[in-house]
Parts: sequence; structure tokens; C-alpha cells
Amino acid sequence: MPQLIKYLLLLICLGFGIVSASSDYSEQLLLRPLHPSSLLASFNFQSNASWESFEQQNFRYFPRSLGQILQFANTRELHLRFSLGRWDAENWGARPWGGAREGGTGVELWAWVEADTDEEADGRWLTLTNALSGLFCASLNFIDSTRTTRPVMSFQPSNDHSNATLANLHLLHGTLPREVVCTENLTPFLKLLPCKGKAGISSLLDGHKLFDASWQSMSIDVRPICPEGPGDCQIQITQTIDMVLDIQRSKRPRDNPIPRPVPEHELRCDTTKPYHSGDTCYPLDIAQDENWSMTEIFGHAMKGSCPLMDEGATPVCINVPHARDVFTSGGAVERKDESGFMRCFELAAEQDFEVVLPSQDLPERAPLEQPLLYAERSFTGYGQERGGVQAILTNPSTTEAVDFVYMESLPWFMKVYLHTLKAKINGVDGDVIQEMYYRPAQDRKRGTQLEIRMRIPQNSTVVLNYDFEKAILRYTEYPPDANRGFDIAAAVITIGNVSIRTTSLLLSLPTPDFSMPYNVIILTSTVMALAFGMVFNLLVRRFVGADEAEQWDIRAIRLRLLAQLRTIIGRFKKEQKVVKTE
Amino acid sequence: MALLSSGVLLKRDPRLLKLPPYLSFLCIAVGIAWLLLLPLNDYSRRTYISENALLPGQVHTYFAGSDQHVFRGFKHEVDALEGKSNTEVNDKLEEFFKAAGLKVARQKFEYKSAGEVYQGENIYAILHAPRGDATEAIVLVGAWKNVEEEFNRSGVALVLTLARYFKRWSLWSKDIIFLVTPDSRAGPQAWVDAYHDTQSSPAIQPLPLKSGALQGAVVIDYPFNHRFESLHIVYDGINGQLPNLDLFNTVVSIASGQMGIGVTLQRMWNHKDDYRERLQTMLRGMLKQGLGHASGPHSSFIPYHVDAITLQPYGEGWQDEMAMGRVIESTFRSLNNLLEHLHQSFFFYLLMHSGRFVSIGTYLPSAMLVAINFTIMAIYLWVKSGTPNSKSTKVASTMEGKPAPLEVAKAGDAIAILPEEITGVRERELFLPLAVVAGTQFLGVLPLYIFNHTTHSMLSIVFGIFAILNTVLPYFISKSIIDYFGPTTQQYQLIKSFSLLLLGMFLSSLATLNFSLAFLVGLFAAPLTYIQPLPGRPILVTVLSLLINVLAPTAVILAGVFAWELNLGEVLKEAAFGWDIWGMNTQVVVWCVWWPAWL
Repeated sequence: MPQLIKYLLLLICLGFGIVSASSDYSEQLLLRPLHPSSLLASFNFQSNASWESFEQQNFRYFPRSLGQILQFANTRELHLRFSLGRWDAENWGARPWGGAREGGTGVELWAWVEADTDEEADGRWLTLTNALSGLFCASLNFIDSTRTTRPVMSFQPSNDHSNATLANLHLLHGTLPREVVCTENLTPFLKLLPCKGKAGISSLLDGHKLFDASWQSMSIDVRPICPEGPGDCQIQITQTIDMVLDIQRSKRPRDNPIPRPVPEHELRCDTTKPYHSGDTCYPLDIAQDENWSMTEIFGHAMKGSCPLMDEGATPVCINVPHARDVFTSGGAVERKDESGFMRCFELAAEQDFEVVLPSQDLPERAPLEQPLLYAERSFTGYGQERGGVQAILTNPSTTEAVDFVYMESLPWFMKVYLHTLKAKINGVDGDVIQEMYYRPAQDRKRGTQLEIRMRIPQNSTVVLNYDFEKAILRYTEYPPDANRGFDIAAAVITIGNVSIRTTSLLLSLPTPDFSMPYNVIILTSTVMALAFGMVFNLLVRRFVGADEAEQWDIRAIRLRLLAQLRTIIGRFKKEQKVVKTE
Repeated sequence: MALLSSGVLLKRDPRLLKLPPYLSFLCIAVGIAWLLLLPLNDYSRRTYISENALLPGQVHTYFAGSDQHVFRGFKHEVDALEGKSNTEVNDKLEEFFKAAGLKVARQKFEYKSAGEVYQGENIYAILHAPRGDATEAIVLVGAWKNVEEEFNRSGVALVLTLARYFKRWSLWSKDIIFLVTPDSRAGPQAWVDAYHDTQSSPAIQPLPLKSGALQGAVVIDYPFNHRFESLHIVYDGINGQLPNLDLFNTVVSIASGQMGIGVTLQRMWNHKDDYRERLQTMLRGMLKQGLGHASGPHSSFIPYHVDAITLQPYGEGWQDEMAMGRVIESTFRSLNNLLEHLHQSFFFYLLMHSGRFVSIGTYLPSAMLVAINFTIMAIYLWVKSGTPNSKSTKVASTMEGKPAPLEVAKAGDAIAILPEEITGVRERELFLPLAVVAGTQFLGVLPLYIFNHTTHSMLSIVFGIFAILNTVLPYFISKSIIDYFGPTTQQYQLIKSFSLLLLGMFLSSLATLNFSLAFLVGLFAAPLTYIQPLPGRPILVTVLSLLINVLAPTAVILAGVFAWELNLGEVLKEAAFGWDIWGMNTQVVVWCVWWPAWL
């Protein structure tokens, strides 16, 4: 099924062609219906800037905010991913862009930083993460040394770095599996685009729809390219948004999103059932209905094309068989691809563009590309002390073996027993591990990094198992909502240019009862107060015998008052005497 | 010096030495009285929701309208499958789940216990959280047959309808797993074991499809066609473990508060919420907890720290299946709100009404007091066995007017001159008592092994033989000990002391794990404290030994079986099943703690 890759490559090449020819900006939306009742929307925005103008801070299509951060942090190549949800490889086939434009759940960032020493690289990485954190409203500043790894086999820099820079490049990789990607990340993302979500395909991007998707991924890649040899280098920024929308869900009106039971007359029943009657219904397959329009799916039609694009560019493509009816509006020109499953539209500027796919009974479907590998990862065991991780990797190909690198970066409190790492191939112990890079964790300093190069023969399943021990954290080290557990970042599987990420995991650690410190504080304070009161009392108070103590009954007061009075009178008399003597 | 001598004198105070038996009796009495006080308003508390995130009953439920037509449709389909084989049923269920757009997988399992084979195939479907990442999941279970082997017709149809209904919502933050097991005992256990990859035998297949950490499980047990009146919640887990009280409270508040459905527990169908009914509910709960067997498919989840309950509609009323569905919908919405694993509320509690409970802090002392009784007596016997048996000589010496031999006691710089006999300690001959106690403890493994490895048909016979042997065995053992070793009174005391010490220790530690079991065993074993050799009174001895035989574990089991009109073989089969499959440890306690102590 490499046909699809071909299309994609074709599209990309098309984009490249345009880029190098005249404009430095291109955008592309690919819509691909997926089974059952889903739609993949792939947005791709690409612009180039020449290296000289970038160095001189002469930004045109390249966003200034990002460019200055990259320059300040000496970052030569940057990859940032925001992802949510899970790609259903069984139904949806291979991932868009071969998985190269997606990350694990949450935020994933890796960059090649130019620095002379490791320490300097760490410093620049810190600058970079903090600056990006502000730019994208994400907690990227929490990527500290415990979450940063330096992968050895999984990631490769772009080919177009100059040799001098290549020698000083440091790859740093960090993930935040717990980060929830949401609208606040989309807004800055759109701001980086030249058309800023006002025109062109980016006008379809709406937080409500994007974050209601079954799966979505936003990515930013900045890398150098040298299309015409090392002399003429450019810096390229590619922003993509991929999302899989549930057609049924997206079609619900925005003011009434609750999936109430449909009215009885709208219920689609199997009337062939013997018991079918007015109040009994065997429901029909909900996945059959696949009519949709752009307005239904994205909430509104596309607001013209981005004027910064070239004339003759085709920003919207739909991957459906040619036999499928597709109606468009707004003076769009349809261009069908000769492969039979792809058509693209050239849009008129300034006019709203709408695509409608009506209900149609069509047996033919655009072919799905089979993924190279199915990967699934889960925890085994139970309890608060130990656990295990099990990764099931299946090579579906009947003819070809697959070589790949499996990378895990685990937090330090998950103490891996490497000796328990075992790979079973089709249920028997097998020697599939070719090479392994392991960097053990240091408590509170850095996490475990594990990279395994493996080869799975055709039509086989490898089960990778290892055990770990759960560390006990200090109570200040727990995040808020500690009883939720800790998210463990997705494992990254790299097969040449294709990459696959597993789902992330939820690790529950022994968690203290956090009301306990509070109780202890209260109790200690009480004891302290009592002790202090006693000691203070002892120090300050004067102790006298009961008979020595001044008595304070009425008689005593009276006597005392009398005495006072007497002294005053006495003094008065004295004064009088003095006066008399004078 | 004064302190020291008074301490030593106190030790010899005859009043003090007489005290422990009364003290230990007082402990038992207070322990039982304490338990009886618990149902009072002053000692129990109203239930409340601890975890604010749950927000039970705060959402509007939409499971109604045309979904009822769908339910009826599925009901017809499920009814048509009655009596079909497990595989045929699962083929059809797979079709239904797949039509709803869910991922379906199956798991075959096979257990062997008491010579019988329990096998079947679980089927489950996973609804992926629309924006989730397979980190957490909640389970909805509908067993094909419930614990009473009734066909769960409405339950399974409801699971199918809800699967379709839940699929429409995009608000799920956790995956939802719909599990249909062929039975209510082995199937759920096999599934949960395999989910955590702890399945013991290769006959239980690993799960081909998995999701994240299980956060909760709700079981529907709705085996009839008609409308129902109230909801019966079953919450006991294996080994007396209980689900988080918050889960229970959530369902209670949703059912009674939001839906207006009454909630009962422990088969107390008409709970009037007076003292008697509360006590009865609590005692039933304790008995169930003490037996520690699975009371529904949910029981298998609880040992894995997955909070689970079974909902059983009962009675004839006007609540229909959709109301049941709405209770589950609302419960799932609440569970879906959970950010953290259920941890806030209580895990150790006794419920006496759907709205009243006592927590561990309040009820634990009663079991502890019963356990302490054994320890007190053990210490008493130890002290007694160590003191010189010299009353007569003492009397004689004072009669003769001779001064008693003196001894110099030193403690730090304090020196006291005391009569020798006060400080004198008799040397204890420890070997025989220790050997006897250790021997009987190890002997406990024997019945444990026998009852878990005989086949079903043989179980009753074996039990009968064992019961008869059991009545003879103590005489035999004591006779042989007397004949071969000729133990002294001191050794008797020591045997008893060690035995009681062990019992007290086991029970007090057990009380923190399974309060009810510890309390029950403690109560049945309490008379053992006061047994002593009574030479020369044969009638009393016979009466006493009869009494003790009545309180023997075997006799109690038999009595329990007759009282509830059960079949002995079935009970033992169940016990063996529990041991083999659920990892139930009630038997360990019975045979390794209680029985040896009784011996």
C-alpha cells in the first residue's frame, strides 16, 4: 500500500516545487474519510526563509517570536508536538506523514542545540524550554533534567546541517505526558501562521472542533534545508495539525451537542427482524452513514484561500475514489489525480469554499495503507511495590521483516530491573534484540533511558517484558491530585523515517494520606503551644507562698484604698504645713 | 527502692494473680457489648460522599426515549440466545458490539477445582475514550448467568444497549469496557487476572486487547423480565475486602436521590431502620465478610484495588429497565469525573443501612478485645507456670516460725532484701509444649490440603470421616502425650499458654484485615480460654468435652450448613473453588489458626 505515501510525497513535492519557484509559503489540507464514520483532516503549513535573512532577523513568513527564541538559544533544529488521543491503527491504517509529525500524548519536544559542552547545551535547553513555555502556554518549563534524555539511536538530525555545526550539535529530548493540550495552545500556534486563522485552510481551525477530535496532533518543525547545495541554505518551518473527527459527533449542532435519543421515527431499524414493531427496534449499523459537508464538520465554510500562496496552488485535497460525488462551491477548480483516489481543488480568493459529500452507496473505498508495525504497551502486575511493563509489537507484513528502535524514557521513580528484560517472539524466547543502549536513572537527577534496536521477522509478534520497582517519593514531590498516579511517556518506535508512538501509561505509586501532614501539623502546634505556655508561665510568673500572697478580697481592696487615701491626705496635709511655715 | 520492692510484691499479690481470668472474660463481654452498641445512632454515622469530584446525581440522564426501543430489540436477541452454547452466544455478542463500533476481544479460560472443570469464554468490548489515551478505564459487567445460575436476560441486553448509547457521548475521559462473562464466578476472575497478567495457569488466555488502569467496575444482575421495585447492592469482596465506600454512596445517592429508587443491602428487603434491623444487616454483612467468598462478579475485582459493586434490581414495582440504565449512566458519569483513583472514603466499614455505617476506628476494638482475651490468658498462664508451686511449704514455714530464706534484689543502685520465694522463678520446660503447639499448627495444613485436593463427589464423605476423626483426635493426642511424655501440670499450662498466645496474635492481626472473620473465630474459640484439666471429675469432663466438640470447626461448619439448609458437598466445593480460583484464605484461617487452637 505504498500508494498513499506516494500521494503524500507527491503533494509535498508539489509544495516544494511551488516554494522554490516563487512564493515561500504553502498550505495544504488533506481530507481522508476513515472507517468507521471518521474523517482525517491533515493541515500542513510550510514556509521557508533564507538563512541570511534569518540571521539578520529579517522575518517575512517565518514567525519572529519563534525565530528570536531559536537564535537566542542557539537551536539549529526544533521539533515540538502537542498530541491528544489515540490513533486507531487497526481501523485507520498507517499514520499521516508516517507518524513523523506526531508525538506522544501531551507535549513532546526535541531539539538540536549548538553548544561546545554538555553543560552549555543544558543551559541553552533550559532557555529554550522556558521561552517556548511562554510562547505556547504549555508547561514546557517543567521539562527539567529528570525529564530530559539524549537519545542515541532514535532521532537523527536533518542532513543539511553544515559539518561545522554538526560536530557541536546536542540532541535533547523531553516529554510532558501529563500536559493536557487545549485551546490555549492552539491560539499561539495559529498566530505563527502568516494568515493567522483568518483566511485559507487555517480558518477552519476552531478549538471546539479540534479538541473534540478523536485524535489530534499539532506539530512545529524547524530545520535547515539546502535545496541547491550547501551554499544556498534556507530555514524551513513546517506546522501541521492532524485530526480525526468523528463525523456523527461533529455533525451535531453546536447549540445542542447533547446526544439525546433520536426521535422514534428517525431511528433506523432492521425491519427484517420478526419482532420489529412500533416499540421494538434492532438498530442498524451506525457506521454506514458517511455524508458530510465542510460546514457540518468544521462549523463553517472555508474563508477563501490565503492570498500569500501562489497562483494555481491547490490547498484542499480529498482522498476519495473518483466515483464519489463531491460538490463544491465558490468557483473552485477540481483537479483529479490519475491514481483514481485523490482530487484537489484550486480555490478562488475572497470566496467561501464549501465541500459537500452526499450520501452515496459506493462499494469502493480509497485504499488504506497498512502500518509497518502494531504496538501496544500496558502495565502488568498490581500492588504498590512492583510492576511490569509489557509491550506487544506485531509485524503484520507477510513478507518483510522490520527493523526498528524502541525507545523508552522513564521517570527515575520507576526503577527498571534490566535483567528482567525479556523478549518473546511468538510465545518462545527469541533473540530479537540486536543492540541496546541503557542509561540508568539517578534518584531525583535523571530518568532511565532505554533504547533497543530490534528486528521482528515477518508475520510475528514480539512481547517485550520488564519489571520495575516503585520508589517512594518525598511528600513534597507528589503532584497535585497525587492519587491519580503518574503519567509515563509514550514509547517511541522508529522505523527509518516512520515513527510510531504507543499510548502513555498511568503509574500509581504508594501515595501517603495527605491529610496526615495536616493532622500532624495541627497536633504538633497544639503540643508546642502547650509546652510554650507552660515554660512561659514558669519563667514569667513569680511564685509565693499562699500566706504571702496579696489578698484581693473586698476587705483588702477597701483597706488598700483607705491606705492610698490616707497617704494622699497625709501628703496634702504636709503641703499645707509647708505652706503654713512659709 | 520502695518502688522496686512494691513492684515485686505486687507481682506476688494473690489478688493480681486471680485477676486475669476475670479480666479476659470482661474483655469478651465488653467486645460483644461493643458490637451490639454499634447500630445505635450515637455510635454509627450517616454515610457521606468524601470525594467531591464524584458529584453524584448532578447530571441529567438521557437514557430514555427511543433507546428503549433499541433495548427491546436487544432483549429479543438476547432471549433468543438462551440455552445456546457459550461460543454461539459470544459470536452473536461480538456482532452486536462490533455494530456499535467497539473493539471486541475474547478470552478463553479453564479452571480445575475439586475434580471439576470450569471453563468458558469471556467476551469484552472496549469503548475508547474519545480523547483519552488508554490510561484509565471503567468496567461494566453483565454476566450471562448470575451467581444463582439464573439467566441474566435484561442485564446483558442492558449492557448492549448502554454500549451503543455510551458510544454516542464524547465526554468520556476513561475507556469503558463492557464485559460479558459466561458465569459469575470463574469468568470475572479469569478476566481480571489476565488483565493484570497474573493468571496462574496457561489455561487462562492472556487478553488480546487492553486498556489502562481500572478505576471501578459496576455489575448488572437483572435476571427477570418485569419491572422492579428497588435496588439491592452487593458489595462484599473476596476475603472480606470491601470497595471504597464512596462508590457505594454514589450509587445510593443516585438511585435514591436522583431516581427515587429504594436501595437495600444484605438481602434485608424491607429495612425499617430500627435497631433490630440495623443489627441484623450488620451481622449479615459480618457473616458474609467472615466467610470471605465471592458474592458476585464484582468480588473478583476488589483484590486488585478496583472498586466494584453489583446492582441487583428486585421486587415488583414500577421502575423499568431504563431506570436501571439511567442509574448506571449516572454512576458512570460520576466515575468519569474522577480525576484520582477512589481513595478518599473508607475501605473498612460495616454497613447497617444504606445510609449508615461504622468505620474501622469504631468497630475494631470489639474484635481486638476478643483477641486480647487470649493474650491475657496466655500471659497469665505463662506467669503461673513460672511461679513456684509452694503454697504448702510457705504455710508450713510460717507455721514453724522460721524466717524465710532471704535474697538480695538489685535493680540499678536500689537494693532490697526479699524472701527468696518471691523472686524465685521455676525453670520452665519448654521443649515439649513448643513441640506440641508447633506440631498441631503444622497439622492444620493436613485438612487444608485434603479439602482442597479431593474431588467433588468425595468431599462429603471425606468431611464425614474427618469430623468423626476430629472428635476422637484430641483424646488420642492427649492420651499419647500423657503416655509417652508424662507431662507435668506446668507443661500443660505452657502448651495452653503458647496456643492461646498464637491464637491471640493471629486474631489481632487478622482483625485489621478481615474484622468479621477474626471476631467470629474469636468468639467460637473463646471457651477454649477457660478449659483446664480437671482430674477426678469425670462427668464434668464429659460434659465439657461434648461442649467443646460442639464448638469444633467441623461441628460449626456442619451446624452452619444445616441452619441454612445447604448441601455440605456444595459448601465444600465452593470453599475449594474459592481456594483454587479466588485465592480465598478463609480456609487457611479455619484450618491453620482455629483448628490447631481447638486441638
